[in-house]
Amino acid sequence: MNALSYAFFNAVETGLRGFPIPCRTGLVSIGSPDRDAPVFLTCNYHLTVLRVKKALQGMNCYLLVANSKGYNVWCGAAGGHFSTHSVVSALTTSGIQDRVDHRRVVLPQLAATGVEGREIDRRTGWTALWGPVYAKDIPPYTANAFSKTREMRKVRFPLGQRLEMAVMWAFPFSLIASLLTFFLWPDFLLPVNLLLWGVPLLTFLSFPLYSRGLNPQAKRMERFSAYTVIFDFSKIPLILWAVFLVGLVTFGLVANHATWEFMLRWGFASLLVILIISIDLMGSTPLYKSGLHEDRMLKVQLDVGKCKGAGFCEQVCPRDCYEVDRQRHTARIPRADLCVQCGACIVQCPFDALQFVSPGGEILTPETIRKYKLNMIGKRLVRV
Amino acid sequence: MSTYVLMKILESAPGKYDTGIRIITLGKLDKAYDRLAGYISSGDHVLDIGCGTGALTLRAARKGARVTGIDINPEMLDTARKRLSEAGLQDRVELREMGIAELGGEPSESYDVVMSGLCFSELTPDEVRFGLHEIHRILKPGGRLLLADEIVSRSPWKRILNGIARFFLSTITILMTQTTTRAVKDLPEKVREAGFHIKDMRTGRMDNFLELAAVKPAREDES
Ligand SMILES: C[S@@+](CC[C@H](N)C(=O)[O-])C[C@H]1O[C@@H](n2cnc3c(N)ncnc32)[C@H](O)[C@@H]1O
Ligand code: SF4
Ligand code: SF4
Repeated sequence: MNALSYAFFNAVETGLRGFPIPCRTGLVSIGSPDRDAPVFLTCNYHLTVLRVKKALQGMNCYLLVANSKGYNVWCGAAGGHFSTHSVVSALTTSGIQDRVDHRRVVLPQLAATGVEGREIDRRTGWTALWGPVYAKDIPPYTANAFSKTREMRKVRFPLGQRLEMAVMWAFPFSLIASLLTFFLWPDFLLPVNLLLWGVPLLTFLSFPLYSRGLNPQAKRMERFSAYTVIFDFSKIPLILWAVFLVGLVTFGLVANHATWEFMLRWGFASLLVILIISIDLMGSTPLYKSGLHEDRMLKVQLDVGKCKGAGFCEQVCPRDCYEVDRQRHTARIPRADLCVQCGACIVQCPFDALQFVSPGGEILTPETIRKYKLNMIGKRLVRV
Repeated sequence: MSTYVLMKILESAPGKYDTGIRIITLGKLDKAYDRLAGYISSGDHVLDIGCGTGALTLRAARKGARVTGIDINPEMLDTARKRLSEAGLQDRVELREMGIAELGGEPSESYDVVMSGLCFSELTPDEVRFGLHEIHRILKPGGRLLLADEIVSRSPWKRILNGIARFFLSTITILMTQTTTRAVKDLPEKVREAGFHIKDMRTGRMDNFLELAAVKPAREDES
């Protein structure tokens, strides 16, 4: 894979980020692995596999590409496409068992919502280790005797990823809009595209400026609740819109173009775009839970009596909510306010010491979460 | 019959799966399954791989067979369990949440029939290869393999037509359920390679659906 085609696939597939793009499943050798070579596993989302391969360059190891139906690790695991069964199947059908003498497989940490480590051991005899969140940390993680630093466990939303999110929004919409405007109102082709690229870029690139002010626990517009979920960041879409309007007016004045019709038309159009993007804006960042289900504002509850301080929760939490006291063999959740409700800690706790509680006091047991996942797409369309 | 991709919509809502699939396939699937069930006799030990809501499992159980149904989707299994107890057949059937990759734990030569409907199109190439090999191992000599699935046509122009139809349907299914299936290539060849003799085979008019009955040869006809 040369740099050019790597860049090409990155660009194209970032644009199509919202769609699953499967690639070949199975065993891949990196370098010249021997019988003790480490075994890493990932999903079969094409872009992920490209990036993981790149991160592994220079190592001698095996990469197992498991079937996630073309989804990335995080969405696949939460949606039930990348599951314990995907991993079990990759381990038993790919032929890796005949290639290495050990039985340790490193899984991407973000799969912990949907893949049960214990169950893999029970079904295959392989020990699942929770690797780092990002592939680029795999070499230092391996050099560090398969142990993660705190930083390697945390999800981030860096510039590159924010750009990706913006492109993911802008690309499909601008494609459709360009086709429409090209035939109906060719004059608007440029402004419509400016709008459709400008707003997402503005929204996601300026994220660090307003992210501090976000309170994921806050109830949004209590009175209309179910209908106002689109205002995911409460006033923030409106502030963004105001910023955009200022830009619009400035442009109008500079270009000597500031007619009422112009202002109204583009003012309205930009509001629409902003509203569309803010549907589940929190959910499209890895740092917050989706705001789409108000009834599912769940909290993790720890039963101290059951906890033995095994620390699996700490290993898999992408928000670093936990502190485990190794001397006293107990966990605490000092940063519970950062929780994104992925359920990973609950799924992995070997002593069932964790569970979710809903605002109404309803309890979601570990068993339920392991079986149905939290995010099963079918559940969104059909209330079961 | 590329409409089978639409079944993914239904699969995400197992409760509606059966009604939906019947409408989509205009009853064709039912006929195919009925024909395949004709190969099952009372007392047979039968394995249904990817049993889903139990369309084939139920048929086999009604014939008086002892059935094990496996599937990786616990919600599908819940629905199957409900249907089986409604039909009063639960005692004859054992349902397990496991994948085709875990057949390694089944004893050799322990089944009379292994069947699978619309499941191979969801498997990875490794799983198909591994699965056929394991099925051959766990079948008794003379045991039968029954398959019904979406396949890739051998005729190039039908492949193109099917491809176009699939493209649109897949887009819809992806949008709604975020997954889709992949038709299987060269299924009869793969079945033969695994050591089976094909007894009967039917494909639809568009050559995109395959119904197949094969036999694991008894020891004496192996040479
Ligand atoms: C389209 S459904 C067909 C169900 C049923 N045979 C029928 O015809 O109504 C396919 C089923 O295969 C299951 N499946 C997919 N991959 C599997 C695997 N690797 N092992 C076992 N079952 C699998 C799915 O969970 C799903 O229930
Ligand atoms: S909550 Fe569970 S996983 Fe976390 S330390 Fe306690 S026992 Fe271990
Ligand atoms: S504490 Fe929250 S964010 Fe952390 S693993 Fe558990 S559910 Fe996920």
